[in-house]
This record gives sequence, structure tokens and C-alpha cells, in this order.
Amino acid sequence: MAIHERSLVDPERVLRKERLVIDGVDVSGDWNLIILPRVVEDYDLDFYDEVIAQPEGKTIVNCYQCSYCTASCPVHNYWDERYNPRHFIYLARLGLIDELQKRADVMWRCVSCHKCTHRCPKGVLVEEVLKAILRVMAKRGIIEEYPSKKFDKFFMDSVYEYGRIEDGELLFGWIEKQGYQVVKDPILKKPIPFFGGVPDWLKDLAAKPIKNMNISFLILNAKHMLFHPRTKNWNRFKQVLRKVMEEEGVFTH
Amino acid sequence: MAVAQVRKPPMGGIGKRVAYYPGCSLEGAARAYDVSTRIVAKELGLELDYLEDYNCCGAMETKNVTFWGTMLLNARNMSLAKKQGHSVIVAPCNGCSFSLQRAEYFLETDKNVFERINSLLREGGVDPLNEIPHTYHILEWFYHEAGPEKVKERTKKPLRGLKVANYYGCLYTRPHFYARTYSHSGTEEQERPRMRETADDDEHPYYMNALLEAAGATSVEYEPMHTQCCGGPHSLSDEQVSEKFVMMLLQTAKRNGADIIATECPLCHASLEMYRHRLMMKGVPDVDVPAAYFTQLLGLAFGYSAGDVKLKDNLSDPLPVLQRLGLA
Ligand code: SF4
Ligand code: SF4
Repeated sequence: MAIHERSLVDPERVLRKERLVIDGVDVSGDWNLIILPRVVEDYDLDFYDEVIAQPEGKTIVNCYQCSYCTASCPVHNYWDERYNPRHFIYLARLGLIDELQKRADVMWRCVSCHKCTHRCPKGVLVEEVLKAILRVMAKRGIIEEYPSKKFDKFFMDSVYEYGRIEDGELLFGWIEKQGYQVVKDPILKKPIPFFGGVPDWLKDLAAKPIKNMNISFLILNAKHMLFHPRTKNWNRFKQVLRKVMEEEGVFTH
Repeated sequence: MAVAQVRKPPMGGIGKRVAYYPGCSLEGAARAYDVSTRIVAKELGLELDYLEDYNCCGAMETKNVTFWGTMLLNARNMSLAKKQGHSVIVAPCNGCSFSLQRAEYFLETDKNVFERINSLLREGGVDPLNEIPHTYHILEWFYHEAGPEKVKERTKKPLRGLKVANYYGCLYTRPHFYARTYSHSGTEEQERPRMRETADDDEHPYYMNALLEAAGATSVEYEPMHTQCCGGPHSLSDEQVSEKFVMMLLQTAKRNGADIIATECPLCHASLEMYRHRLMMKGVPDVDVPAAYFTQLLGLAFGYSAGDVKLKDNLSDPLPVLQRLGLA
């Protein structure tokens, strides 16, 4: 596993001498590398406080940097070594915001598999803490909209509106958001899966129940797409949801 | 890899009649799971009481948008279960059981959360919670209230010759704070604050293996992929990572000789089927193992037809494999 704190050392601070003599002793060879100290002034301890202030972020205080989380993480192991939960916790604690920002392109990739949380010997809810860190970053505008956040919001909108979600709408709605051209019927404005510019794999998959003559499945899903399943008496509950979400600033960021 | 079990969880103790929280998926695209779950429960003499007018649990998505909103969504469902007279909720989806168990965790361990949620529930016209119902994954419930013995007794058409890769996914066993799992091969040292005796082994779950083996199937070696991620909440938003993860799952199953992958979560199942199709279109080798819900396989063993357990709903077409072995 790479030592990630190495990435905090700027290249120009690393000095390597051909010959190094200290107090008359030639220490060239293993000892000829010097790293100039760096004074960190651009830290922000409020960042850490904001993470702790969230109910899911509290357990960050327990972390003792053993890296068990990183060793377990599939995104780190199978996708990108730069994705390193332990390191993100380290940076958040020190308040090294610009360093976090440099990693913003991988930080959202967590698939919420909870291997980290499960194995952490100190009881840190790692996945939750990472999401809390991401949220504070978003609040401060140091991470751009990332795909999974767009999806989360899209999902939340549906739950908020109806109390329930519907697979077809979620899938085709998302595909449309990705810029594919989805054909809709003119009256109810619901997607028709087999036409338009939706990706081939999706057309193929959507055609399977037809090929299999799986009529009841088609009817069920068509019904759900036309009439979104809803929770009864949702409106009053929705008001309360709206209130807490407003407090959290969900509608503003 | 079979692990020596030092601790054997006691059987029973959950209750034969429970609140059934199917979740949005099971009433739509994952209809087959719902139908086959009901069949299996009926055969095993267990009763599912449908949770009326439930709302979405928020899955793995809303929790990243709003903490309090997600707590509220789940607390509402818990309150409905209480109202129907249940202190046990059973969910067949990893995402749903995770969400409910996560809410359980915060409600139980954080007094502020408990109090605030109760006052918000009142405001929303829902009964507040004086007691918090416990959520179990349906697999844990089947294992404890019926168990391999009962499955064996009910089996009319054993799944002879069927080699199964049992895929549990992430959240059935993780994190132990919510799922309450623990190591069955461990000793007291691995005692966990919230562990529940009936919960499955955390790193080497075996309940599904045991039930399907009792029905006559053979489990193939599938560790550690049995609890590896399928892309989960990112299966639509992060295609690159999800595709790679599913490829690893499918190829391992195939190379270990599996005929079929048994699933116990509609999200894992959908992700597997969707990426299986895409990978096959790309011509990636060894990714053609189909997937079926473990309840569908049990249904077949109990003598139900492929139509009864809705095998045609599975987009990965497990029918030919099962027909070849004379099982469907
Ligand atoms: S496993 Fe836990 S204690 Fe260890 S580095 Fe990760 S969060 Fe910190
Ligand atoms: S939950 Fe996220 S950070 Fe944790 S192990 Fe899984 S992918 Fe890695």
C-alpha cells in the first residue's frame, strides 16, 4: 500500500545531494535525501468541527489511523489507489482543505459497501464519516456536483414527491439526465423504452419480457410507470420532511 | 471455505408471524422475489403480515442527502409496524433491512435522535415510537424459524446437480453496528456491543448455503466474492466501477464452476443482471452465469413450477440452465 502522506510533500521540498558531508563525516548514500520542513498555515479547524457536528460524523474522533478501512476498501483495491478513506479522515482532521480538494475527483467513488465501517477496530462509522466529509465539502463549494450526488438527489426527489419510488422511472429518468434522448408518449409524457436514443443494452433488456411473452410483468410495470405508486396520506408527512430538509439546507446546496 | 464454528446460534426466537416490509422494488421489477418469498413462507409455515401503506426506506441514496429525513422515513415504517401489532419487521432487501437497522441504531444509541424523531412523527400525524421494533433480513428469519430441517422436509424435487454460487452482497452482514452480525468461529473476545445471537456470521455468512443445500443444491466456493460489492448505489451513477465489480463477481462464479448465482437482494440482483447483459454484449469472457433469487430456487425444490416462481422475470434467463438439469 502506498504511503499517502508522501503526496503531501511538494517535489520542490525534496533535496537530494550528490555528496553530503556533515561535521566532517561523509553521509552520502542512504542519508543524502533531505526534506525541507513545510509550515502549514492554510488549515481550517472549523472543517473538522463541522464534520463532528453531524450525527453521522461524530465517530471520526475515534480514528487512530490504522488503515484497516483502506485495506478493506474495494474501491481502493480494485479501482484507484488514490481513493483512501484513512487518508481522507487524516486530511479532514488537520483541516487541509486544499489537499482534500485535490482528491475531490475520487472522493465520491465510495460504493457504500461498509467494509470499512464493519472492520474498523475503533468503532468509527467510516462510510458515514466520509459522507459527512463530502457534505461539508459540498457546503463550502470545494467539490463540484458529482454523478452519485446527482443520482441521490434525483432519488430523493421521487421519494419526497410520492413516498415511494418506481424502478422504470428511476432508470429512464436517469438515462435521460445523462443526455440520452428518451421518447415519450404525447399525453402522459411517460418514456417509451424501445425507441429514441437510449443505449442499446437498455433497449435489448427492455425487449426481453416481450420476447418471453411475459405479459403480466409488462402490464405490472407499465401500470407503475403510468400511475406512480404512492403512499397514502403522504402530504402531511411531506410537510415535516420538507421542514427538516430545509433546516439541513438540502434545497439550497 | 468452511470455517469451524465455535458458536452455534440458537434456533427460533424471532416469531412465526412478522411484519413484512417488501420495499418498492419487490412490488415492481423484482416481483419474482416477492411472489417466491410468499410461496416459501407459506410452505415453511410462516406468516408474513404485509405492512400497509409503507413508504420507501430511502435505500442507500437519501441518507447522503438528508440524515433527519432518512431517519423520519424509517421511523414512519417502524411506527406502522407497531400499529399493526408487530415488534419484528422482516425485509427481503439488503437496502431496506440496512436502512431500518441503521435507523434502529441511531434511535437506540442517540437519545437526541430518538426524542426529536418522536416529536417530528407526532407532527406528521404518525404515532410516536415508545418501543423500537427490530428488523431482520428475511434470510435470517427463514433460517431461524424454519431452518434447513424444515426445508429438507418440504423438498419434493431436490435441486440435484445444481451448483450454486451464494451471493450475499454487502449489507446483509455489514456493518456489524447495524446488522448485528458476529463471528461464529470466534470466541468471547469478538463479542460486539450490538451483536444478535441469531445473526449470520459476519465474514463467512452461510445461512443461504445451508438452506439451498438442504434443498439438494451444491454450493461452490465463492469466498470472498460472496460479500463483495456489486456497485450498489452507484450501479447507475458510476458505470465504470460497477461494471468492473460485477465482472469480478460473474467471472469468479463461472470459474468456480457455478451454474447459477443465488441472490437475496433485488438491488444486487438487478445490478448483476444489467451488467451481465452489457458485459456479454461487449464479448467479455466467462460472464454468462445467470442469477435467481434464493426463494425462487427453494420454490422449485418445493415442487412449484417455473411459472409459479416467475422465472421468466429474470432478465438473465436462468431457465435453460435449470431445464438442462431437469429442475424446471
Ligand atoms: S479502520 Fe478505523 S481507526 Fe483505522 S484508520 Fe480506518 S477509521 Fe481510522
Ligand atoms: S464503504 Fe466506501 S470507503 Fe468503505 S470500504 Fe466500501 S467503498 Fe470503501
